[in-house]
Amino acid sequence: MEFKFLLDDEVRTVTVERKDGALVFREGEGTLTAEVRSVSENELLFVSGDRSQRVFVARDGKRKIVLAGGREFVLAEPDRGAGRGDRRDKKARQGVWPVKAPMPGKVIKLCVAEGEAVRENQALAIVEAMKMENMILSEVEGVVKKILVTVGELVDAERALIEVEAKA
Amino acid sequence: MFKKILVANRGEIAVRVIKGCREMGIGTVAVYSEADRDSLHVWLADEAVAIGPPPAVESYLDMGRIIAAAKASGAEAIHPGYGFLAENSAFAALCEKEGVVFIGPNSAAMELVGDKVRARRTMEKAGIPIIPGMPAVAKNVSDCETAAKSLGYPVIVKASAGGGGKGMRVVHEAGELAPAVEAGMREAKSAFGDDSVYLEKYLEEPRHVEVQVLADNSGRTVHLFERECSIQRRHQKIVEETPSTALTPALRAKMGETAVKAIQAAGYNNAGTVEFLLDRDGRFYFLEVNARLQVEHPVTEMTTGVDLVRQQILIAAGEPLSLRQEDLRQRGHAIECRIYAEDPRHNFLPSAGKVVVLREPKGPGVRCDSGIYGGWEVPVHYDPILAKLIAWAEDRELACRRLTAALDDYVILGIRTTIGFLREVVNHPEFRAGRTTTAFIKKHFDGWSGGEVHEDTRRLALAAAAYDELARAGRPREGAGRGPQKDVATPWTTLGRWRIGGAGPDGI
Repeated sequence: MEFKFLLDDEVRTVTVERKDGALVFREGEGTLTAEVRSVSENELLFVSGDRSQRVFVARDGKRKIVLAGGREFVLAEPDRGAGRGDRRDKKARQGVWPVKAPMPGKVIKLCVAEGEAVRENQALAIVEAMKMENMILSEVEGVVKKILVTVGELVDAERALIEVEAKA
Repeated sequence: MFKKILVANRGEIAVRVIKGCREMGIGTVAVYSEADRDSLHVWLADEAVAIGPPPAVESYLDMGRIIAAAKASGAEAIHPGYGFLAENSAFAALCEKEGVVFIGPNSAAMELVGDKVRARRTMEKAGIPIIPGMPAVAKNVSDCETAAKSLGYPVIVKASAGGGGKGMRVVHEAGELAPAVEAGMREAKSAFGDDSVYLEKYLEEPRHVEVQVLADNSGRTVHLFERECSIQRRHQKIVEETPSTALTPALRAKMGETAVKAIQAAGYNNAGTVEFLLDRDGRFYFLEVNARLQVEHPVTEMTTGVDLVRQQILIAAGEPLSLRQEDLRQRGHAIECRIYAEDPRHNFLPSAGKVVVLREPKGPGVRCDSGIYGGWEVPVHYDPILAKLIAWAEDRELACRRLTAALDDYVILGIRTTIGFLREVVNHPEFRAGRTTTAFIKKHFDGWSGGEVHEDTRRLALAAAAYDELARAGRPREGAGRGPQKDVATPWTTLGRWRIGGAGPDGI
């Protein structure tokens, strides 16, 4: 069986096969052979020889959240998240750049006006969430093309707030 | 004694107070906004009253609605928790007027200590050392500019009504002052409904040491020693402990006496905390009185054995204080860390959303004061605190190890939390050495990203995700067979067994 996951904007392929009562997972260059026990609905135990590792798996909509080795991983279906443009690398930052709300909150200040030139990391807006003010910074140098929200507006995560046209 | 108490708060502190009341045989009334209909405190209380829409100003800060809820439910007293109306003297006065007991200080004392500027003057008169600062609230930005020039940079902007880091800004140079004052005013306005701010000289790398005090209605006062709360981020405490590694027995006694003197100078009753800044030379300065139960009160409870919520209720009911200073002792060491719904790897952005999986640690000396449950949706409207994890042990090193192990066992999936970050803070060699100052986080954790993920760990995570897909594919689909086939998590499948794996390969 083969499974594909999108992890940190990279598609990872895992193959699983059964061998002598254990499962063999292959991913990239490496292999993990373990007997897997389902301890509870969200909890797995990977037993390899005398070493056992506890892993938690949560399903939230189409996402899977995995806690392994003290670290958290968020995995998505490859086709779903592949088009997400919020981590395009710097070279690709051309054209109109939507600045999105990183979390749900309330727009309490707009620091720029349409047509204004902005530097990279310049504050564009302030969004308040959980009683703290969070500065929304421009990821590019350019010109404010359009302001899509008003002060006082409640916004969801990933909602585009301001469009910045990157300097060519 | 009261028969019924209304808890005018939400989250972990409401849960803490409700549990305290229950132990005393007192009935509880929870209040909730529309966003908190399914919150834990609502479930746990004997009764619950809806008080309005999600924004706090229309619910948890609406004095009229809370008083009306108390009257309608027949509650004789109101416990305000911390935040919201806890330090609002107008609310304390309204309770007095309406004949409902406010579990906290009298309104006059609260008004005095709540006005940071007046409190400084009172303390100065009583001979208590204070930090240099503006003698009155700033009228405008230029007022601040003049004051900052004479105090010398760095200065700190503080909300006169404030606390909890809200409205606070450190300013290192003249150019940063105006925006900092404006932002401070806005934050203060939205958090406390009062935008007055003032400036103080900013001490670099001090320790934040506070003293817990209890005073009954006749003025009998004891202190319950210190809490060191130097580990802060954005002026918000994140790790607190007691005893402080910075105090000698002589300094501890002196600070305790000073705190008692401060409380008496203010005519204060009930539980209160006197905050001090302690500089490198062992000089301490009065900072403010927190006229409420503190977030970090459990470390004092764990080391002194005194239940502070119970004491608050007894005092409010008019009972004389039964504790005597000479009987109070600190035993062992306790450390608390605050679990916030914030993403430490992305500049601590708030992270609201659904708690998909929750496993709270337990065991000897481990206390988890929590306001959440698995499946609950964390609302965006309120403070991001989810829970507090407290470890007690015979000494500091053992308490650190116990806390680290408990953090390892703490699982919250679905939203981002500060658990992983806190584990690294507690494991940091400087923390272990007790060298904690308010600059600690900035100095050692600025731009923290948690380090690289080991390839084996990533592979394990991917394997687990693949296994999960495989297991789900093998299961009959819901509705495909006869009746629901959905895996229901019953206590019989989850109880007991999950501890068997312990902390994983290394054990505890």
